[in-house]
Amino acid sequence: MATNLLEVKHLSQKFGDNLVLSDLNETIQAGEVVVIIGASGGGKSTFLRSLNLLNHPTSGQVLFEGQDLTTLNEKQLDHIRQKIGMVFQSYNVFPHLTVKENLKLAPKKVKKMSDEDADKLADNLLDQVGLADKAQDYPTSLSGGQQQRVAIARALAMQPEVMLFDEPTSALDPEMVGEVLKVMQKLAQEGMTMVVVTHEMTFAQEVAQQVWFMDGGKILEKGTPKQIFQHPQKERTKDFLARVRQSR
Amino acid sequence: MKKKRIYFSWLVLLWGLIFSVLSQPVNAASVDHSLEKVQKRGKLIIGTSPDYPPYEFLVNQNGKEKVVGLDIDISRKIAHDLGVKLEIKKMDFDSILVGIETGKIDMGISALSPTAKRKESVDFSQIYYKSGQYLIINKNDKNIYRDKDSFQGKTLGAQSGSIQSELLKKQMPKSSGRYLTKVSDLILALKSHKVEGVVAESAVAIAYVKNDPSLAYINGNFNLGSDHLGSAIAFAKNSPSLVQAVNKSLTTIKNEHLVSQYLADAGKYMQTTKSNHTMLHYWRYFANGVGYTLLISAVSAVFGIILGLLLAIMRLSRNRIFHDLAVAYIEFVRGSPLMVQVMFVYFGLGMIVNLPALLSGIIAVSLNSAAYVAEIIRGGINSIPQGQTEAARSLGLSERQTLQSVILPQALKNIWPALGNEFISLIKESSIVSIIGVTDLIYQLRTVQAATYKGVAPILVAMVLYFVMTFSLSRILGYFEKRMKHGN
Repeated sequence: MATNLLEVKHLSQKFGDNLVLSDLNETIQAGEVVVIIGASGGGKSTFLRSLNLLNHPTSGQVLFEGQDLTTLNEKQLDHIRQKIGMVFQSYNVFPHLTVKENLKLAPKKVKKMSDEDADKLADNLLDQVGLADKAQDYPTSLSGGQQQRVAIARALAMQPEVMLFDEPTSALDPEMVGEVLKVMQKLAQEGMTMVVVTHEMTFAQEVAQQVWFMDGGKILEKGTPKQIFQHPQKERTKDFLARVRQSR
Repeated sequence: MKKKRIYFSWLVLLWGLIFSVLSQPVNAASVDHSLEKVQKRGKLIIGTSPDYPPYEFLVNQNGKEKVVGLDIDISRKIAHDLGVKLEIKKMDFDSILVGIETGKIDMGISALSPTAKRKESVDFSQIYYKSGQYLIINKNDKNIYRDKDSFQGKTLGAQSGSIQSELLKKQMPKSSGRYLTKVSDLILALKSHKVEGVVAESAVAIAYVKNDPSLAYINGNFNLGSDHLGSAIAFAKNSPSLVQAVNKSLTTIKNEHLVSQYLADAGKYMQTTKSNHTMLHYWRYFANGVGYTLLISAVSAVFGIILGLLLAIMRLSRNRIFHDLAVAYIEFVRGSPLMVQVMFVYFGLGMIVNLPALLSGIIAVSLNSAAYVAEIIRGGINSIPQGQTEAARSLGLSERQTLQSVILPQALKNIWPALGNEFISLIKESSIVSIIGVTDLIYQLRTVQAATYKGVAPILVAMVLYFVMTFSLSRILGYFEKRMKHGN
């Protein structure tokens, strides 16, 4: 039986008078890959950032392994965030550290891992994302695709239970999208639980178990990739998909 | 509205503090313990501005500086009669009366004339030396100027805050005045024809002219009231016991005609200072000054950074009290001159705890620098994109770890040039501590000027020394800036 790794109950977010998330009730199971699609401003990023409480919701609960994160203090949250990896649209690699130091920072500072162990871990992960030869380089000398792969490896270095991806390829030049998606696909095959906000429909079709269509702060429609992409039920979903396909 | 009220309450608190400090000596003045205090301490502390030969000036004896002159000999005699040791505190002439009022010194002896105005804030002994008011001029002009009335339309110099400046303002209305703190600067201005004459006391005028063949003196023929008849020693208000004891010594000095003997001694010192006028001879003075300037700057830079970082974090914190405290501090410190802050720490706080001048200087300069450094650091922290913080926090780093390992290292690189600027100006601005008698480079420059009767050469030496210090620092900073460059 699959267990609920992440769950939100009555999750709402207001920024001023603007209702960004409206009473969401969803679960994500261990080993599942959920892809969230939808137009900009639909609340996708805010939802994702609520899952590790980078964004504190206005009301409702966020449960990780059954524990309500909204009741925790900052110190307890720091402990939980280790287990929830996150990858950002703008990479956010640390420019003052080498690629390898980027990977080693959190394991050493947070998990108090020895330098030797962190070094081995980093080497291993860089190998996985195909950047072993860049270990001693500073991020600014890397391409966007390479930087994003460093960011993924950096999140993996904390050995998280789930990985959140916030439009990981949106800032990339088209020719670099592939190398990042390949890393993500491999990760999914290895059984990593993933929540991915993306506009890459092909990726969604190939990798996701579930696709959620989000619009106006609600999850308007959800189902298997086949259901959503081939037989969308709601008008808004159809519109969105038509627009996305047209722009191709 | 609410914000305004918070600032207002800070202001009230601050004024409360200042007034409570100011009101202290009034309460303490009712009972006279002045003599008892000196005897108990076993030490008579005098304040003097040693740039006024033959009254008080510095000489270089075997590489060590020493205050000598008429006033010093008189003080020594007084201390001897009281059976106590003598401690001489060197300070700016303008600071002497403040020093007395705040209890830093027991008496001020610096060729002070007992004017009615000064009597409002201090008590005076009997007059111990009478002299006239002269005008020092360039020897070449001796045929042009006869007395004060022949300077119409010309500029004359006098020591600021002195009796001579009053004479110049009131009795030479058709001449304009230039007021400087040091007589040595005035002589320099005279020699470079910035001023045509310098109003000085007869003894001073004679001393300078004797030591410089290009100068001459004439009697000013000033209309001298009873105020201007001579020099007396100043004491804190309501200290009759000490004044009486000192007057007894002064009477002895008068009866035994000791003043002329003291003046002759002073003249001898002036002979020895005359013979050694090369800057090299005074290298110890300059080295000492550089040492103190570097010490004050270095210690202040360290504490400035620590305190500045703390203030920046407080200002960025979500806690309103911390934030307001930091803002109030930064705004207030940036809003008042360092010079005033130095004097406040030395004289003001000095009433509560007795802080030595060097420590006062370091405290004031550190506290001042912290305000500027705080704003530089705050700017640096704000310059780092929010995404860096989010990435770090998403990895499980705490707020503190994020600041330490991610934000500050990047901020430091961004603010390095601004910080470097602050450190360089710290070296230069620390010179202000010379007003409370800290023997930094500026102070030593004054000392050498007074001792050598040379104006420009010591300025040049100090200028070069300051440049060497700041240039070395900027090279060091540049080296580290290059090392941090890798990221870009």
